[in-house]
Amino acid sequence: MNAESRKQALRYFFSKIVEPMGYKFTPDVELMDFLLDQEVMLEGKHGVPFCPCQPLTHDRARNMHIVCPCIPFHRTHFDAMKRCWCGLFVHKDVTDPDSLPQVSAKELGIE
Amino acid sequence: MSNSFVQAIRTSEVAPGGMKAVVVNGHEIVICNCGGSFYAIDRRCGHMNAPLERGTLDGTILTCAMHYAQFDVTTGEALSGPVPPDLGDEIPPPRMGALLENVGRLMQQIRTESIGVHKTTVEAGWVSVAV
Repeated sequence: MNAESRKQALRYFFSKIVEPMGYKFTPDVELMDFLLDQEVMLEGKHGVPFCPCQPLTHDRARNMHIVCPCIPFHRTHFDAMKRCWCGLFVHKDVTDPDSLPQVSAKELGIE
Repeated sequence: MSNSFVQAIRTSEVAPGGMKAVVVNGHEIVICNCGGSFYAIDRRCGHMNAPLERGTLDGTILTCAMHYAQFDVTTGEALSGPVPPDLGDEIPPPRMGALLENVGRLMQQIRTESIGVHKTTVEAGWVSVAV
């Protein structure tokens, strides 16, 4: 299987999921490409495109909460940051993704 | 592959986003209507031979109903392999567990291959397929 084709397919499906939630792919094309590469690798290994920036555990239910796009499971946290944890998705109004810091839910007082 | 086109179905037989299995000159083929563009692919999944018309078509990406392997119907390229089953939290009985483990080991050996595609033409309300 070709990683580039799979990346295109993931982009197609992910767009349909995140757009109604007010998110879009990060305008940082290099980062987007890198993160999708990692997801294709994780999908090849586990059969599921997990978030490349969050640890897998032995708890399947918990792991299912980090299947990309994991926005619905962390909505309050991500909305506060205007980005998802790894930065693959940002709010639709974001033009400068570098200005959005990665802040834990604990630091934001959400958890 | 020869280039002789054979009338397969009428365009009205498959709504956009739909698929239909046909047999053309002995070949099992699925005709896909992707927003008004028709594509023809081999009927059998490149993973475990499931009939692909039972799956779902989203844009030009077909997802097999059996293990959710995905294919691009424009090229036949395999885009992803099977998705692992959700066994939930329930621990299977010992003998069943051993059986599932064995099946899992066998399944790991199965590669997902790309599938064949066939040229199509649309003329006078008919979709013709090259076989």
